[in-house]
Amino acid sequence: MKKVILHCDLNCFFASVEMLHHPELRNIPMAVAGDPDHRHGIILAKNVPAKRKGVKTAETIGEALRKCPELTVLKPDYDSYLYFSEKVRDLYYEYTDRIEPFGIDECWLDISASISYFGSVDRIVKELLYRVKEEIGLTLSIGISFTRVYAKLGSDLAKEDAFCYIDSLDDIKDLPAASLLGVGYHTGEKLKAYGLYTIGDVAKKPLPYLKEILGKWGESLYCYVNGYESAPIPKYREQIEEVKSVGNSMTSIRDLQNMEDFKIVLSVLCDSVSARVREKKLFFRTVHLQVRTKKLEIRTMQMRLKENSDLGKDIFNCAVALFEKNCDFSVPFRSIGVSVSSLSYQKDGLQTSLFEKEGYSLKQKKEETAIDTIRKRFGRFSVSSLRVLEDSGLSSFIPRNDKENV
Amino acid sequence: MSIRYVDVICRFSKDGIIKPLYLIWEQNQKIPIIKVTEVCPRSSLQAGYTGLRYTCIFEGNRIRHLFYDRGKWYVETR
Repeated sequence: MKKVILHCDLNCFFASVEMLHHPELRNIPMAVAGDPDHRHGIILAKNVPAKRKGVKTAETIGEALRKCPELTVLKPDYDSYLYFSEKVRDLYYEYTDRIEPFGIDECWLDISASISYFGSVDRIVKELLYRVKEEIGLTLSIGISFTRVYAKLGSDLAKEDAFCYIDSLDDIKDLPAASLLGVGYHTGEKLKAYGLYTIGDVAKKPLPYLKEILGKWGESLYCYVNGYESAPIPKYREQIEEVKSVGNSMTSIRDLQNMEDFKIVLSVLCDSVSARVREKKLFFRTVHLQVRTKKLEIRTMQMRLKENSDLGKDIFNCAVALFEKNCDFSVPFRSIGVSVSSLSYQKDGLQTSLFEKEGYSLKQKKEETAIDTIRKRFGRFSVSSLRVLEDSGLSSFIPRNDKENV
Repeated sequence: MSIRYVDVICRFSKDGIIKPLYLIWEQNQKIPIIKVTEVCPRSSLQAGYTGLRYTCIFEGNRIRHLFYDRGKWYVETR
C-alpha cells in the first residue's frame, strides 16, 4: 500500500498571527520584519495586500518601503509564533502520531494508518483545513502525495486555504527543477548548464549521470525526483534529538572596522556558544566561523582542533586564527557567526594530548564554569571580560539559542 | 467587531477545569453566570481573537460568549 503523506504549510505564518491580533491590518499592506534599529531589517513575512504591491520575503525594509510606502512594519513576536505553532501541531496530533516538523510553520504528516478510521484522505484534509481556520484562526496549504518531497511540492502549488494532490511524476514533470526541495540557486544553475530545466528532464536521467554532475547530492536528488523515499516519518515527540552543532551569530549594530571590534563581538559569541556546549555536557572538535561583509558576501571557514574541548577560549583563539589567515578589513563586516561541531560526550574522563604543551586547561575550565554559575544566578551582564566593556554598544546583545542543528 | 478584555471570577476545580462564575462589567457590576453550555476552541478573523469559547447563559436567558486565551478573558463588542 502506498503511503499517504501530507505537507501542511501555514500561509504567511508570522503575518497571519499578527493579523489575528490586529484584524484592522487585514486589508492594508503589512509585513513583519526584524528590528531596523539593530539592522536586522529584512522582511520575514508579509500579507496578501503587501504581496500584491511586490513586497518580497527576505528583502530589506528600505527596499520594501520604496515599493510600497504605506507598508505597516511590525516587529516579530517569537513567543507568540511558537505558541501558535505548538497549538497547530497539537491539532495535527489528533489525526496522526507521525508528525515531522520542518521549520516553525511546516509539518509532514503520515496519515496512512488513520485513513480507515476517519473515512478518507479527503475528509481528513478538509477537516484539518476547517478546524485550523475555525479553531485557531490561521489558514493552511496542504500537499498530498506519497513522499515528503512530492507533498511539499503539492503544498507549494496549492492556494491559500486549499489542498493539492500529486499522484505521480506526470503531475509535476513540467515544473522548473528549482522548485524541488533542496534545489537552490546554485544547483538549479548547474542543472540548467546541463540542459535540465524541468523536473521531467531530471527524472529522465539515470543515477550515475546525476552523481557525476552533482556528486553525493545527485543520489538524493535522484530519489527525490523519482519518488523513492525510505525513511518513515517518526513519531511526534519521540524523535531522537541528537545535536550536531551549536552556534550563535550576530549582526552588529555598526560595521566592524578593525580587529578590536571583531574581537569584542566574537568574545560575546564564544562565551555564549561555549556555555551552551557545557550546559549540554558536550565537547567539540571543530570550530566554524562565518563572516558577512557589508556587501553581503558570506565567507565560511572551519578548523579542527588537536583535541576535544568545551572552552570559550579555544573557540575564540581558533576563530581569531581563522580570521587572520583568511580575511582582512578592506571591506567592513556586518555580521559574525560562530559554531562548533564534531560533538561528543565524554563521560569517562578526558583524553588530553601527550605532546602539546598548551593543551586542554582544567584551570580555564574551572574559570569558565564559575562564570556560568555567576551568570545563571545574577544575569548575563553580571560578569564580563574587560574587552567586552570597551564598547558596550557592540557587546550589549544577548545571543539567543538561535542555531542548534539537529 | 472587536474584543474587550474583562475581569472574570472563576472557580478552578481540582480536576483542572476552569469555570467562570461572575463577569465584572462596568462600575464593578458583578453579573452572575448561570450556566456554561459549551466550551470549544474558536477563532474569529474579523474580531481578531483565538482561544477557548465559553458559551454562557446569564440572567434572563441571555446567551453570550466569553473567550479565554493565555490567561485573559474577553468578550466580543460591536
